[in-house]
Amino acid sequence: MSKKLVCRVAEVPAKGIKEFEVEGGLRLLVANSGGEYFGYQAICPHQEVRLCEGLYDGSVLTCHMHLWQWDIRTGAPIGLAEAPLEKFALMVEDDSIYFRGQSSALDVGELFHGLAQQTTEKLAALAQREAHEAGSVLYRPGDPAEDFYVLDSGRVEFLIGRDDRTSPGGFMLKKGEIFGWAALLDGQPSRIASARCLERSELLRMNGRAALGVLESDPLAGFQVMRRLSALIARYLASSGAK
Amino acid sequence: MRIELNARNRGLQFDARSGEPLLYAGLRAGHELPYECGTGTCGTCKARLVSGSVRDAWPQAPGRAHLKPGQNEVLLCQCIAEGNSTFEVSAFVKAADPGACTPDAFAGVLRNARTLTQDVLAFRVELDEPRDFDAGQFVVMAAPGIDGFRAYSMVNFERGARRLEFVVKKKPGGGFSELLFDGARDGMPLALFGPLGKATFYPAIGKNILCIAGGSGIAGMMSILSRAEQEKYFARHRGWVYFGVRTMSDAFFLDELSALRARFPERLAVTVALSDEAVPAAARDWPKLSFARGLVHEVAKRTMAGNYQNVRAYVAGPPPAVDAALRVLLLDAKLTADNICYDKFS
Repeated sequence: MSKKLVCRVAEVPAKGIKEFEVEGGLRLLVANSGGEYFGYQAICPHQEVRLCEGLYDGSVLTCHMHLWQWDIRTGAPIGLAEAPLEKFALMVEDDSIYFRGQSSALDVGELFHGLAQQTTEKLAALAQREAHEAGSVLYRPGDPAEDFYVLDSGRVEFLIGRDDRTSPGGFMLKKGEIFGWAALLDGQPSRIASARCLERSELLRMNGRAALGVLESDPLAGFQVMRRLSALIARYLASSGAK
Repeated sequence: MRIELNARNRGLQFDARSGEPLLYAGLRAGHELPYECGTGTCGTCKARLVSGSVRDAWPQAPGRAHLKPGQNEVLLCQCIAEGNSTFEVSAFVKAADPGACTPDAFAGVLRNARTLTQDVLAFRVELDEPRDFDAGQFVVMAAPGIDGFRAYSMVNFERGARRLEFVVKKKPGGGFSELLFDGARDGMPLALFGPLGKATFYPAIGKNILCIAGGSGIAGMMSILSRAEQEKYFARHRGWVYFGVRTMSDAFFLDELSALRARFPERLAVTVALSDEAVPAAARDWPKLSFARGLVHEVAKRTMAGNYQNVRAYVAGPPPAVDAALRVLLLDAKLTADNICYDKFS
């Protein structure tokens, strides 16, 4: 990907954060940590709060609204934060900072961020990129739950129940969100909800069994992913149906 | 009216009474819908109307600045359904904690409004039915003839409360506060909804507590201190109270704070920060209290250093004071975010 100018180095002082817009309209937050520059999504993944209004001490970024916090070097969530920040690759040349590209949905995903690079690469090799038009149904209740999905862009809605006796079961709209995770669980052979794209959506589709195989080869990553999956499932426990 | 709401993690249904803001209807049904102020200011409770017909109780609400035009977005705290309606909320909505005090609508009567300073007054609301709330929570209330709800923190703390105590700062052009200052309103009926807010204190936290309050933000701290006193909390844990006002003549509750300090002289410290004047000789009338010149977060920063181990902090007051205090607690004190409690409801 071609590089795009973000700003001059001098515009982001030591222990400073600042929001910029690059060509094409993407807005990003640039943080200076001991002379190194890190780029992230400009808006808090929790609610629509600008992160440049947050607090920053040179190593931890805090959104002022609900005190979600992130490690500025990795974007990994700390404390109350329930989601990582999407990291943007930056490079410094002479006195300017350039944007080199966005992370993949897998890297910013709620399950797979921050794993060892080798493991991330193996997982990425399993992912099939799919694009679905608005209205496409990805699965229906009773379908085999073999694959899970990582949302890259677009929007996917869930319906619980069959035919015309359905009720809404939530929706996905953030890059890196994962659904169909029954494919990662034992004893959950079939779908209990339907998933439909509300707009054109790009997805990474991965086989659950194959992903578990990769995680078995890196037990630390497996442990991290299972911890995150447990936290994710807990968020849905109060619901009338899970995905 | 039947309300369906599709949240990020689930769909939920609840009933709304005629004329009832949908935020209140959902909270009453035990759904933790997103909100901060509950009164049209913050924009946190925004939702998208999918179908149905609604009315906006306050089209000029400042929180509408957070809505995207042309997207059928509404503030649930100002949105009143005129029939069955369906909404979508871009937030995760959990079921309320089983131990929490479920908010509901209730009625009360205004009593005993009295001035504390030139622009602060205290009043009581006597309730028809006893109500439970947690120390540090607030309610919203509406008066006849005045549009909309205002949020006020309870000053007192008791279970099954039949009276709620409040303080209110006079705001020029603020219909409700002017009504209270107008006097001769004793016995006025009030409509209330609550309790609301998550910046609560309960003794099981087992931590030293730090309260930083600006102006009428001291209200919720008094409730927290009241609960702590009832449980003799400061016999086991330390407490620091920082109360910021402009001048000595703007301070109130000094007798109450002195009495509290007298009960727990070893572990409780109370400091009044005066932002606009040097500490006057009159401060000697309160020998149990400390006084210092400066903004409340600066005074806290100067005198709390080294005391931040095992501390839970509570913060309340005007938004600039709250933001400044958060900065001190996160960046200087290095408190973890889960030990900093505040509700942004002004």
